[in-house]
Amino acid sequence: MNYHFDWTPIWAARGLIVEGLLMTIAVSAVSLAFSTVIGLVVGGAATAGSRAVRGLALLFTEMMRNIPLLIHMYIWYMALAFLRLPAFSCAVLGLSLYSGAYVAEVVRAGIGAVGRGQMQSALATGLTRFQAMRYIVYPQALRMIAPSLASLFSQLIKDSSLASVIAVGELTYQAGAIDGQTFRTFEVYITISLIYLVLVTAASQLVLLIPGSRSDLAAGRFADA
Amino acid sequence: MPDVIVKNLPFLLHGLTLTLDLSVWSIMLGTLLGLVVGTVRFVRLPLLNTLALVYVEFIRGTPLLVVLFITYFALPALLGYRTTGYRAAIFGFVLFIGAYLAEDFRSGLRAVRPTLIQAGLATGLTRWQVLRLIILPQAIRRVLPSLFNQYVRLIKFTSVASVIGVTELTGAGLLVNAREFHPVTILAAIAIVYLVVCSALSLAGRALYAHFAVRT
Amino acid sequence: MSDEPIILIRDLHKSYGATPVLRGCSLSVRRGEVVVVCGPSGSGKSTLIKCINGLERYQSGSIRLEGIEVGAKGTNLPKLRARVGMVFQHFELYPHMSVTDNIALAQVHVLKRTRVAAQERAHELLARVGLEDKADAMPADLSGGQQQRVAIARALALDPQAILFDEPTSALDPEMIHEVLQVMTELATDGMTMVVVTHEMGFARRVADRIVFMDTGEIVEDAPSEEFFSAPKTKRAADFLSKILEH
Repeated sequence: MNYHFDWTPIWAARGLIVEGLLMTIAVSAVSLAFSTVIGLVVGGAATAGSRAVRGLALLFTEMMRNIPLLIHMYIWYMALAFLRLPAFSCAVLGLSLYSGAYVAEVVRAGIGAVGRGQMQSALATGLTRFQAMRYIVYPQALRMIAPSLASLFSQLIKDSSLASVIAVGELTYQAGAIDGQTFRTFEVYITISLIYLVLVTAASQLVLLIPGSRSDLAAGRFADA
Repeated sequence: MPDVIVKNLPFLLHGLTLTLDLSVWSIMLGTLLGLVVGTVRFVRLPLLNTLALVYVEFIRGTPLLVVLFITYFALPALLGYRTTGYRAAIFGFVLFIGAYLAEDFRSGLRAVRPTLIQAGLATGLTRWQVLRLIILPQAIRRVLPSLFNQYVRLIKFTSVASVIGVTELTGAGLLVNAREFHPVTILAAIAIVYLVVCSALSLAGRALYAHFAVRT
Repeated sequence: MSDEPIILIRDLHKSYGATPVLRGCSLSVRRGEVVVVCGPSGSGKSTLIKCINGLERYQSGSIRLEGIEVGAKGTNLPKLRARVGMVFQHFELYPHMSVTDNIALAQVHVLKRTRVAAQERAHELLARVGLEDKADAMPADLSGGQQQRVAIARALALDPQAILFDEPTSALDPEMIHEVLQVMTELATDGMTMVVVTHEMGFARRVADRIVFMDTGEIVEDAPSEEFFSAPKTKRAADFLSKILEH
């Protein structure tokens, strides 16, 4: 092995690394918010009374999940280029729709697990379906998906690396830039790997912030989207 | 079928076969790796367990794209060898899926009831015999759905190989688009192909599971 | 009946961490004897018999199985376990194999019999427990009582010198308990050495040679069956009997 290790150029480029890190967190956090909303809506729709609505929800989920994330991003960036969306938005849209479909699955299962009995007893006390969902079913379902949100966040952080392909200046993109400048290929990629590792671990520990969630669930991984 | 697709059909079909090729090889080798590593983690062999742990945790915390950059750029630079996009892609995919499958296998192994293991031991089987004849068959049946999930995921992930220059389906489509400028048609077509392949595999997985499920 | 005990336990101590589970238990079982171990939950009965075939480790004391020290460092446990069968509370049939294969497995891999010979023996044993028509069934297709009888056949497949039973009927619905106890009674009549942890006092009275009563990790009383039931020597045993016979 004739490779000479030299980590100093990496340290010198730390400004770019920090920029990339912040962009990664930005992309992931915004996508997390959108995915959760999409997931709650579609997941709720997937348990609706109307078969048409359920069918639509299922169609949405199947389509969004089975199309690779990279294709999602390319679609917004290239196919829908007439919309002139900045790369950041394309990345977020792609990520949110893709991950939102996975959240929808978890929400659907969570609502299902709450049990028809809960809905029936709520209706029996005179609540409307909407009220029953809002006060009885959703809160219970949310408690079940809360642990998954932490691993969803971790997963989004990893998936955000694909945004580099459509020129979003997140961590992986910056790594390529630093490699181009310094030719310290091994050092730069190992460094960002370790940074991702720290980010992902931190994100999955965030579940401990949610009151009432169990720490053993922090180790669970989200459907590995 | 739209003209641009028809004109470039052979090239795109070749891309599809490359996608399937990458998938099949990565799935086979990755499953083997995952089984070995998962078993090592379950049995807790002294030194190997730590190595396995480091491997699994490192890969699971790293984005696939970065893993591919490591196998395509970083490792060749470090060890001074040359590699093609295809080989780096297979290497990266096998490492990637191997780590996730290892965890799936490990949790499947741990889910086997201790008293069932005792029953096997009580008949005079050695620990390795019990592992091979009783624990593994059950664990594998139990994790079949997760395995299929990972396989479908991998097929989607082969699209990332396009970034390191492999002309599988996505890569081929992008090249065609670069020449023809019909992103809507081309991307739609590619998306549909992935949809069909992945949905089909998911369905196959569900059917397989229903057939092999262990009723306990 | 030979004079040398087939199982000889002396002053056995076992703890889970800081909690003592067996406190100085001593027991000997002669060839052909049927010993029933009874007592309240948590008395250590299951732990005791799982120590006999080395499924549980012990901290001090001695267990000699056919003269071999179970807990000694060099002891070949698999080989020892092939000499003693065990039947578990939850049957523990291998769910991914047919009934015949369940019974044949250890014969092939431990005794190195051929598959054909093993399957033949399996069919013989299935006939003995009254289940010859279930040879190709999967465990999930059988009732609890049937599964437990298959488990007994599985234990018999290695021609053991003794069989240990860990609450064999506790997980069964009442109407199936009889069929299992019947098989066990036949085994006893045929001269099998048996150590049975159970709450089935009727069975104990009819079949057991000796009753061993355990409480909080100790063997409180160890007496021939008739003596135990008619005149228990200790108060704890008497209390236990009155509670359980009322039921």
